[in-house]
Amino acid sequence: MSRVPAILVDTTRCTGCEACVLACKEENHLGEDRLRPGQETVDGLSSTRFTTILRRPGEHFVKQQCRHCLDPACVSACLVGAMQKSPEGPVIYDSELCIGCRYCLVACPYGIPRYEWDESVPYVRKCTLCYPRLTEGKEPACVEACPHEALSFGSREALLAEAHRRLASAPQRYVQHVYGEHEVGGTSVLYLADVSLGFLGWSDHLSDEPLPLLSWASLKKVPPVIVGMGTLMGGIHWVIRRRMQLAARAAEEATGGEDD
Amino acid sequence: MTDRLTALKTTLWTLVGILAAVTAVRFTWGLGSVTHLSDAAPWGLWIGFDVMSGVALAAGGFVLAATVYIFGLERYRPFVRPAVLTALLGYAAVAVGLLYDLGLPWRIWHPVLHWQHRSVLFEVAMCVMLYLTVLALEFAPTVLEHPRLSGRFFRGALKTLKKATIPLVITGIVLSTLHQSSLGSLFLITPYRLHPLWYSHIIYLLYFVSAVGLGLMMVTLESLLSAWFMGHQAHRRELSGLGLAASVVLWIYLALRLGDLAMRGVLGMALDGSRQADLFLLEITVSAVAPATLLLFRRVRSSLGGLALCSVLTVSGMILYRLDTSILAFARPEGFAYFPSWEEFAVSIGIVASFALIFIFFVEHFRVYDDVGKGARPVIRTSHDPATLFGLQPSVRAAPRRYSAAALAGMTVALVFLPMARKGSIPSPTSPARSVPGQVLVPDSGAGRTLLLATRRLSEDAPATKEQDHLLLLIDGNQNGNAVLFDHDAHIERMGADSSCGTCHHLSLPLDRTAPCSACHRDMYDTTVTFDHRAHEEALGGNAGCAQCHGADAPVKSYESATACMECHAADAASSSIIDPPRDRWLAAVSYEDAMHGLCVKCHEREKEKSPDRYASYLAECRNCHDPDLRARLQALEPAKSSQVEPQAGTQRRARRVP
Repeated sequence: MSRVPAILVDTTRCTGCEACVLACKEENHLGEDRLRPGQETVDGLSSTRFTTILRRPGEHFVKQQCRHCLDPACVSACLVGAMQKSPEGPVIYDSELCIGCRYCLVACPYGIPRYEWDESVPYVRKCTLCYPRLTEGKEPACVEACPHEALSFGSREALLAEAHRRLASAPQRYVQHVYGEHEVGGTSVLYLADVSLGFLGWSDHLSDEPLPLLSWASLKKVPPVIVGMGTLMGGIHWVIRRRMQLAARAAEEATGGEDD
Repeated sequence: MTDRLTALKTTLWTLVGILAAVTAVRFTWGLGSVTHLSDAAPWGLWIGFDVMSGVALAAGGFVLAATVYIFGLERYRPFVRPAVLTALLGYAAVAVGLLYDLGLPWRIWHPVLHWQHRSVLFEVAMCVMLYLTVLALEFAPTVLEHPRLSGRFFRGALKTLKKATIPLVITGIVLSTLHQSSLGSLFLITPYRLHPLWYSHIIYLLYFVSAVGLGLMMVTLESLLSAWFMGHQAHRRELSGLGLAASVVLWIYLALRLGDLAMRGVLGMALDGSRQADLFLLEITVSAVAPATLLLFRRVRSSLGGLALCSVLTVSGMILYRLDTSILAFARPEGFAYFPSWEEFAVSIGIVASFALIFIFFVEHFRVYDDVGKGARPVIRTSHDPATLFGLQPSVRAAPRRYSAAALAGMTVALVFLPMARKGSIPSPTSPARSVPGQVLVPDSGAGRTLLLATRRLSEDAPATKEQDHLLLLIDGNQNGNAVLFDHDAHIERMGADSSCGTCHHLSLPLDRTAPCSACHRDMYDTTVTFDHRAHEEALGGNAGCAQCHGADAPVKSYESATACMECHAADAASSSIIDPPRDRWLAAVSYEDAMHGLCVKCHEREKEKSPDRYASYLAECRNCHDPDLRARLQALEPAKSSQVEPQAGTQRRARRVP
């Protein structure tokens, strides 16, 4: 975990030009967006849009994408290990394993993964932090495309240091918080902003506890339940049967005694 | 066979027919063609009802098995077989429902090979698979008792299975305990999406206890229904006992649920009048408060009507509990409501119908309902009677024809409605505005639907004349209907390569991606400096400064809403200008000469006055700019000359992407 690749999004520098979106689409061969029924615009993420720019009132542009959590909920949720935390850091997806249960969509605290609803052979789609490019030693396509240096790519520690440097150097410009530093155990996509970014998650108050720990609290009870419940039921059965046998024998003896 | 049963079967077959039609569409065109599921509602009715509720409804199997085999309460033995059969078919229905819901159903076996022990769903999947096997083995003796299966092998298997009853029952109880509770644990990972009235750290306990209560009431309901349809007597005394047990379990559930809410301090939310609060009150009343209270009265418990009412209440209420946690109380972004499509209902109901038919088949052909109880008199025709069609009554022979007709009718009705539903669901690709050679770029009429303002590389269709590798775009630069050839690469090079896009693209809007040409090319003959948005932004304090130029009330911070440069920079214009300083914001920059004389000269003079010793004496002199060498440098910026510069590789790549 020494050099986790990460992206720092400085939303105060973003002008919403969407060069990142286009670069992402080209890199991942995503093609044109299609509107799903009930969807008015294609602003949001979709199976053909791994990153997008959310426009907030007051000319705030916020890049939406997978946060590549350090302890991702989607990875712990996936029952066949199709969602994986790669050894390098990005959260990637093995379409060969996926069974299409969509628990990853349910589990993600940021609501990121998207599904190919209109395919007869559908897969989950989301940002991979350009994993193939990273292995070639390149930076993600969106970072390369950004003309405003709103996106920076580097190791997580270096970017955290840079983020705190920016917060300190221009305190009036930023909300004094590096989004993603601690939320749900920390993410690899960090945000600096001049407005609260609560709208990016499902809540303003994400705890620092990684979500997989919540499930683990229940999962770790499985072995004790197996042993405990098995023993309890076996024991009760044995005791009750024994008592019934004894009662039957006593009744037999009683009747036998009378006969004698 | 009673008339009621015939009517029931006909109805069920019709529903199966509808299911068949929807099935064909579901597996041909995918989930999106028949469901209202979306990225905001990844789980819908098929998970909430078929899986979550299906498993819970089948809880009677392990509860009754425990009652009779473990606790030795023999008087409940008549309920064991139907309860085990219900559980077996219930779990089979869950598996079938999952096949509809999974995106890639042919991989349903993957969890067996690919273990991921940190996933709650993995635990659920394994338990359900194992429990389905256990249930099949628990129920197998009922089938093996059939006189037709009198071979040595079957008799041997029957003997072995009967010996293995207790281990099987205990395994079943352990597996049920695990996955009934784990269905609740599935939601532990969604603390930010599940409403606080449902999210709980002991949700697995709530799911387990409620499943026990629900299982008891489901066995009761089923027993009443089969008595009604099959025409045999219900075991009143035993049903009353089940009712009392259910009441106790439901009270425990209520204490846990409300106690947990109180401990977390959110009990008050139940009365805040919100939609969720009303839902919660309805759910808790129907599922537990009302039946648990009613069942305390002996009169209710001993009347079939009372039992029926209580069991219907609990069953529907507990289904609502499952639907609430998985669908209704699950947070979604605004504007993304979920209500199941009629096809989703058709599949859920159709699966129940088909398994009800299988249930009836087993009841009719095997000894599911023992006539152990007093007065119980099964009127089942063919139990232990391998009947042939000969000698049957005409009404019985007519049955297959009647049911086939019902199924076909259902299928036809569904097919009539299906194509319409599909048409609405399968989105047609929207056509983005495109620029093609020789055609003016016209934005798509549906403004919100225009996705990418895609321009095409001209050289692909008609080779560019000047430089083969140069990207020439046909653009309507000023959005006035006149298109010009635009040398994008030359602009990128001149403006400073990759970091320069923002100079023109800084006013990006969905339909207006670039600043118009006239923003910079005010003067026909000289290049002018362009407006540097970034520099202004930094000088005015980041995004907070937007309002200074765009106005605080402007709905869109676009070019149109921007203040004209001269409103702020009037003093910078040359006093002797022959051109009126433009107030029209479409013509933002003054002419090159005006800009130079206004901006450079004034500033130079100012700086010279401020610190004469720091700046050379020639700072404010004309030759500072009007110098033959400088003129050559400026001319080097012209397109014709700059195009001879070798294009950079990175620039080429970008140019194709960002037209």
